[in-house]
Amino acid sequence: MSRRAFVATSAAALAGLTRKGSPGYTGGFAEDESGAGHRLRANAPLGAIRERRRVPLIIVGGGMAGLSAAWWCERQGFHDYLLLELGHEAGGNAQSGANAVSPYPWGAHYVPVPGKHATTARDLFADLGVLKDGVWDERTLCHSPQERLFWRGEWHEGAESFLLDSPVDRAEWMRFQERLATLRASGEFTIPSAHGRPSSSPLDTLTLTQWLDRESFRSRALRWYADYAVRDDYGTPARDASAWAGLHYFVAREPDERGPLTWPEGNGWLVARLLERVGARVRTGSAVRAVARRRGGRGVVVRTEDAEYTADACIWAAPIFVASRVVADFGPAPAMTTAPWLVANLTLREWPAERGSAPAWDNTIVDSPGLGYVNATHQRLSALRGPTVWTYYHALTSGTPAEARRTLAALSWSDAAELVLRDLERAHPALRRVVERVDLRRFGHAMARPEPGFLSAPWRRALTAARGPIWYGHSDLSGLSLFEEAQDHGVRAARGALALLGVRSAR
Amino acid sequence: MAPALFATVCLIAACGLVYELVAGALASYLLGDSVTQFSTVIGVYLASMGVGSWLSRYLSRGLASRFVAIELMVAVVGGWSSALLFLAFAYTEAFRLALYVIVAIIGILVGLEVPLLMRLLKERFSFKDVVANVLTFDYLGALIASILFPLVLVPKLGLVRSALGFGIVNAVVALWSTWLFRGSLGAPRALRVVGGVVLATLVAGFAAGDRLMAAAERGLYADDVIFARTTPYQRIVLTVWKDDLRLYLNNHLQFSSRDEYRYHEALVHPGLAALPAARRVLVLGGGDGLALREVLRYPGVAHVTLVDLDGAMTQLFTTHPELVTLNRRAFSDPRVTVVNADAFTWLDANDAAFDFVVVDFPDPSNYAVGKLYTTAFYRLLRRHLTPDGRIVVQSTSPMFARASFWCIERTLREAGFSTAPYHLYVPSFGEWGFILAGSSPYAAPPTLPPGLRFLSLGQLGPMFDFPLDMRQVAVEPNRLNDQVLVRTYEREFEQINR
Repeated sequence: MSRRAFVATSAAALAGLTRKGSPGYTGGFAEDESGAGHRLRANAPLGAIRERRRVPLIIVGGGMAGLSAAWWCERQGFHDYLLLELGHEAGGNAQSGANAVSPYPWGAHYVPVPGKHATTARDLFADLGVLKDGVWDERTLCHSPQERLFWRGEWHEGAESFLLDSPVDRAEWMRFQERLATLRASGEFTIPSAHGRPSSSPLDTLTLTQWLDRESFRSRALRWYADYAVRDDYGTPARDASAWAGLHYFVAREPDERGPLTWPEGNGWLVARLLERVGARVRTGSAVRAVARRRGGRGVVVRTEDAEYTADACIWAAPIFVASRVVADFGPAPAMTTAPWLVANLTLREWPAERGSAPAWDNTIVDSPGLGYVNATHQRLSALRGPTVWTYYHALTSGTPAEARRTLAALSWSDAAELVLRDLERAHPALRRVVERVDLRRFGHAMARPEPGFLSAPWRRALTAARGPIWYGHSDLSGLSLFEEAQDHGVRAARGALALLGVRSAR
Repeated sequence: MAPALFATVCLIAACGLVYELVAGALASYLLGDSVTQFSTVIGVYLASMGVGSWLSRYLSRGLASRFVAIELMVAVVGGWSSALLFLAFAYTEAFRLALYVIVAIIGILVGLEVPLLMRLLKERFSFKDVVANVLTFDYLGALIASILFPLVLVPKLGLVRSALGFGIVNAVVALWSTWLFRGSLGAPRALRVVGGVVLATLVAGFAAGDRLMAAAERGLYADDVIFARTTPYQRIVLTVWKDDLRLYLNNHLQFSSRDEYRYHEALVHPGLAALPAARRVLVLGGGDGLALREVLRYPGVAHVTLVDLDGAMTQLFTTHPELVTLNRRAFSDPRVTVVNADAFTWLDANDAAFDFVVVDFPDPSNYAVGKLYTTAFYRLLRRHLTPDGRIVVQSTSPMFARASFWCIERTLREAGFSTAPYHLYVPSFGEWGFILAGSSPYAAPPTLPPGLRFLSLGQLGPMFDFPLDMRQVAVEPNRLNDQVLVRTYEREFEQINR
């Protein structure tokens, strides 16, 4: 952009030249699964049984945990299972969409480069050709520049310049790093968390905010960053998040390569690759309404709206709060809260005017209520910047989760779209001129919130230890909604179920 | 009489505020950090007004003509302030100095206006009414200006013409004042003539506001511009001075016709002359057709594909009379196929194999171009090479950007190539570097094509030898996920420009 064109556009933008009236863009709410989900809650009457079938293994839930369980079964040469997914497509939080401009994520959009503990994740990426002879595929690793922050009126590459801006910030950031190094040495914080996870920790008795206070961290930059981190990863603000969970974000990852791994459609790419391997045995639109042990026999009976399956083993890979409504004798619903999220995909005719460093993959506005946006066309090899899609994330964290969920449910498409645009206009004043579509998706229960005490919650321990015929495998069991956690729990459950079924590894 | 006088107050107040807002907005756009810019501009402006008010005590005689003169000065300085500041930003390093000097001059002049006007009016009205009315209309004018500025002036006129427009208002007020105060003016005619001239230049500037910006660009080039065009990809400018034809892309010199033969002979022949069996050649970048001209010297070369992003560039160098003379109608050679596409995606989408590839991209000054200097790109290129094939990469200056040059060399090695770096002196660029890369070690050619102007066999040896100040340095390879080259290059050029 020439200096002249820049001056012209930013002048108009500064003057707030936005036409009122029609928004100038289209879009709507993308389909979601809340309807089918809420039918479970309402305990709507079941339809007639049209199919009765015996299947050795039933997997309930087609998110990353369920797909990973199925992937593991296939790897062991076991194909005699059925995966039942409530929604019209599999993928859970890793679902994606696509339009003429680009594929784009609806949720999870990257996987940090798996470290040495994440052996199953490394197995998967070797299977998918992303890891060859110990070398990560360069095209899949997030291209430079990975991250930028908008503050003091312009974009700055990386987060460091913000965190080290003043001498006080710098000193506190160094002290923070020292604390993290000590914690890292404890070996408690790993990915997947099951490897190092202690059964309790003094750090799980207080919130991240309390921990920052206790350690006398006062740097505004550091405190903002810490809060941003837990909102971004767990949908939970620092005032509510367990300090252990917050520190896990900073301590657990020790990648041997600059990452993360990412794709235009985010983790939807992984979903597609997994479906290539397991898709033949996935039934979408199959809401599981009841799971019960067989009376007087081994195994379980799994009832959907219109079918009944008798199985020797069942892997529950759906959210745990749903299990309390569906699984017989499950007991009371576990005490946990879930975070509501709003995700927007903005289709842009061209890159909007902006000031500062070059566009990055992850673009964050400091002091914004949202979490910024990810550019879906970032991984393109072309030197040209054409039309693009931005995925904007916003974990609603004001008030209690229930209050935030009501706020989210009450938002009309146009109100929600305006909320998104107004947030992004801080950094891109002329954004409206280039926005073609704003497509939205609301996630009432996007993920478990890791609040203080989550680490030692007895139900997590009990469900993880359950030994058939129902195995539980979902990231809710870690309380950390991460790909590696979902995969780890899904595969652990599959291992248990296959052992029960007497399946020996084909490898 | 009274309404006209107070309307004058209202207008000059509006003018004063507009200049202040223009300066603040302009500094914000150009320098960023709008809070600082507006705060400092307002601060300097108000303080200068104080200075002006204080200075007003030293004016005692001929108040009316002094007032008219001040109005005209405000019209000139304020009216042209925005244009002057743009030029200062484009051509000088002293934008901030110019900004605060201009703001201070306007502030002082505006600060003089009101006290003078009050003294002029106190002879006609009671002091109490003068103070009340002048201040009322002063604030009213400020209100009008502050509303007009964001809603009408900036969006409809832009900053240059807004300032000029209010300069016109100031000049009209000055002329009008020669009638209002005609009783107290010594030489109204002289003031009217000066006022007329000031007004005329401002009106002319206002009418030509758009072209003014274009003129600023022309001034960036020392020579005559014979061609200028903005394509979707870049700004192409051709200049000529005597027999020197120069091409600039985005203000960066691409070649000078006086010494481009040095660059292009050195780019092509050390590699291609060493491949006597080469039949298929690929040129990436090089839309000027000059590397192509050198490749076409080889009768054995049966087919050349040139991939350049910008169709306007290849079109220009296919048709422009002086340019086709320079590249010897390279694009009209039947052996040549031109593809206007992005090099990375084009290579990714086909599997053609070549014996020799000329990689002549712009320097890695940003992440977008930097992708074309990564291990991923060179690995892709290797798949398009015949077993004995070789590539040559334009690799910036090993003198001015030493670490960048060796970073490219390291990246090629990381991608599995055996490399042979070399350098030469190109007067318009300075010391420049290229790197030959292939699967086997490079051996110099026994002969060179006839008719060269620079390169000789004897020259080849020294070219591959690097003096101490250009010798290899240890650097990391450049990867898609960690573009160290762009950061290195940026750092090295910052050091030169200091």
